[in-house]
Amino acid sequence: MTEQGTLFDDDFLKKLEYLKVVSGQMIPGHMHGEHRAKKKTDSGIEFADYRQYVSGEDTKNVDWRTYLRHDKLILRIFEEDADLPIYIFFDASKSMDYGTPLKFDYARKIAAALCYIGLLNQDRVNLVGYADGIAQELSARRGKNQVWNSFRFLESVEPRGTTSMEKAIKNFFSARRRRGLVVVVSDFFDESGFEKAFDMLRYFRQDLFAVHIHSTDEAHPELPDEVLLEDSELGTTERIKVTPALLDAYAEKFEEHCDQVGNYCRKNGWGYVRATTDVPFEDLILRVFRQGRFLG
Amino acid sequence: MTFLGMSAVLAGSLLAATGAVVGFLYWLKPPARRLVVPSRLLWNRLLREKRKSSILDRLRWLISLMIALFIGLSVATAIGRPEASTTGLDTRAITIVIDNSATMSTRMSDGFTRWDHAVEHARRLLQGRSADGEFLIVDTSGQAPPTAPGQRPEAFDVLAGLTVSLGGDPRFPTVPNSDADLFFISDGVLVNDVPDEAIVIPVFQPADNVGITAFAIDLVPSGPLTYQAFLEVTNASSTAKEVSVRLSGTGGPGRRYDVTLRAGESQVRSIDLSSFDRGAVRATVISNGDAFVADDHAYGFLPVQRATRVALITRGSVYLESALAAEGRLALDVLTPDQYAAGVVADVYIFDRFAPSTAPPGPSLLFMPPDAPWLARTTEILSTPEVAGWDVEHPLLQFVSLVDLRIDRAARIALPSRSNEASGGLENRPPGSVDVVVGTRELPLMVASEASERAVRVSFALDDSNFPLQPGFPIFLTNALGWLMGERVALSSFPGRIEVPVLMAEVVDLQGNEMATWPLPDRTVFAAPEPGLYTVAGSSRRLRVAVNLTSRRHSSVNASTFGFDAESSPIEVPFPGSEDGGAPELWVLLLVIATVLVLGEWFTYHRRLTV
Repeated sequence: MTEQGTLFDDDFLKKLEYLKVVSGQMIPGHMHGEHRAKKKTDSGIEFADYRQYVSGEDTKNVDWRTYLRHDKLILRIFEEDADLPIYIFFDASKSMDYGTPLKFDYARKIAAALCYIGLLNQDRVNLVGYADGIAQELSARRGKNQVWNSFRFLESVEPRGTTSMEKAIKNFFSARRRRGLVVVVSDFFDESGFEKAFDMLRYFRQDLFAVHIHSTDEAHPELPDEVLLEDSELGTTERIKVTPALLDAYAEKFEEHCDQVGNYCRKNGWGYVRATTDVPFEDLILRVFRQGRFLG
Repeated sequence: MTFLGMSAVLAGSLLAATGAVVGFLYWLKPPARRLVVPSRLLWNRLLREKRKSSILDRLRWLISLMIALFIGLSVATAIGRPEASTTGLDTRAITIVIDNSATMSTRMSDGFTRWDHAVEHARRLLQGRSADGEFLIVDTSGQAPPTAPGQRPEAFDVLAGLTVSLGGDPRFPTVPNSDADLFFISDGVLVNDVPDEAIVIPVFQPADNVGITAFAIDLVPSGPLTYQAFLEVTNASSTAKEVSVRLSGTGGPGRRYDVTLRAGESQVRSIDLSSFDRGAVRATVISNGDAFVADDHAYGFLPVQRATRVALITRGSVYLESALAAEGRLALDVLTPDQYAAGVVADVYIFDRFAPSTAPPGPSLLFMPPDAPWLARTTEILSTPEVAGWDVEHPLLQFVSLVDLRIDRAARIALPSRSNEASGGLENRPPGSVDVVVGTRELPLMVASEASERAVRVSFALDDSNFPLQPGFPIFLTNALGWLMGERVALSSFPGRIEVPVLMAEVVDLQGNEMATWPLPDRTVFAAPEPGLYTVAGSSRRLRVAVNLTSRRHSSVNASTFGFDAESSPIEVPFPGSEDGGAPELWVLLLVIATVLVLGEWFTYHRRLTV
């Protein structure tokens, strides 16, 4: 691993290796020897098991020797690798270009980490940067050798424009996609609301894992008495007279917003983690693992 | 409302300017800071909800402006020192004459003095009037002379500066404003000349007092070297009193005797002072329940009790020699002029038809001296001059009659002009002054002068007159020697302003505390507020002044013209320290309110409650 940009430096890569080891310990049997769950079919190469023949089934795999010896129709069953499509949607709108560290960099690191783990597990990983629709997309990749392509792609994306997750999901899944795990890394500041996009995922029977990130001062802003608030995405402004009550109300509203996203996910049996950008990204990834969905 | 610090127009302008400045500063508030947020999504939702409910938030700016205006206007108003014109109170001018004579220091049954009660009365009178009125405080001892009426705070200041004056001649002052309500607060003892229009507020209550009404230290006639204290003690109480009299001096044990005095009784005693050495003598009377302490002590000075050394320089005078030899308290040394030139030390020098070229080192008595540089020049010799008159009040002529005085020959001397003379407050004259004791200013036959040393000059020789044959001649000699040695005993005075015939003098009391002095061209003035023995030290003279309040008039603290009505008990005087001093002035209140508001504004601003 010698190719690297400023975003994914040596330190980042070391943390990825650490995540690789830790994730294997947390979910035994999943990461060892790049093992993937296998589905049993009748057309594979690798023998897996026998089962009783049921009338009407194709006799191609009947084990005739057993039939001659025991007078029973037994079918041979074979195993076949079952790869998991992972669709990583990361928010590349202008609202992510905020905070210290930048929410967008934080989101890209999370996407990179999840992508890395997915590729190690021989999953098919799609990377989609979205804003007001799909901004940039890296189509499904599989295998460890795709790691650098993925990182380069992530480094190439710039935050810009407004947010419409609904439009991005709709565009992406309008093409035929296999069922898989959709990971959305975003601040979920979406004028059109996140619910429609999530409903669409449910419609496409996709599993969802939402990673909600925000900076600390977004939750508890410190503003002067009178301020002209400018929306980073729309560029519109509004004069506000700031009071402690207003700040408290905003903090409440922000919590309410986060709870809405979390509750929506939990209600649909989806995963949800929330973190501020001052939390080390590897800790956040471990929290993702602990929820047991990403590698399930 | 009135403004004491400035005119109403100026105060109004200041208030308007302050309001304008505060309003302008609020109007000038800096523009809002532009701040980029990731999304206004949540802010928009929040503001939509807040706009429906938060009226208070919208009023914050207005409330903040009101508070700032109030603070600014409070400070501006306070600068003008406002005073509320208390509605409903009397707005007429008021003049309060307050008696601060000696007897006002008499203590009353509640422990406060008549003066304390008088001041409290005056304070309440001032507070009971509207601030718009005119106020004047005048006293009876000249500490606050009548001036134009002023504002109430000024009257309070004057009242606070007044004290009881033990000495002087208290009298009702001439008040300037006849339209004003005139009040007189007094005990009615020493000040009686009260005009009819004055509303009298008596602060009299009968009190017990036993005081020393006379005290003097003088020679015993029978023993010329022995001094006695003559002491009069008077019981001014309405009941008999057991009195303890004590006399203390230097070097010997104190003298004490007890006596019972009936109401109004006085007792005189002579007390031998031979057991005391030279120095201060103090008499004290102690009686139970004494309410007036100023007359409980009296002071005097005991001179050295030895014979006075007299040097008589004469070529022969049988009258003088025999008369002086008869004085038992004298140590006479008769010298010729030649012997005098060899040098002699004496307490008093008597020159008979001789005068040295320089003044003697002590007081001197001269009989028809020839011209000398230190003496007034002789202009002519007169035959049988007429004795036109004499000063019977002068100490030299006490008990001396000159009715039959005949003079055959006398010298006319040129006296210095009267401009060089000045009158003094004591029995002495200022230095340099010349008193004509016998004769007229045109033909002075006997003059007494006080230069660096006292001197008596008689312009005729004893042999040229029948003066030595007069029965008063020995008395004259005694008076002359006594006057010439007068510095040895203490001068006496009442408390108050005292003039002493010493230039650029320093004055200290018995404890060694230096008193404030005011040097005048020919004398020194100092203030002795309390009885005591004061030492006056100049470059050439040293005097002692015994300041005593020895007067039956002052000790008679119950001799009030007001009488006493037991039902009209004195007003309650607040304890010193416990009194609230009246309501604080409005400007103080305004500043306090402004300070509280500033602190409150600071707190609420930092809590974002105000803008």
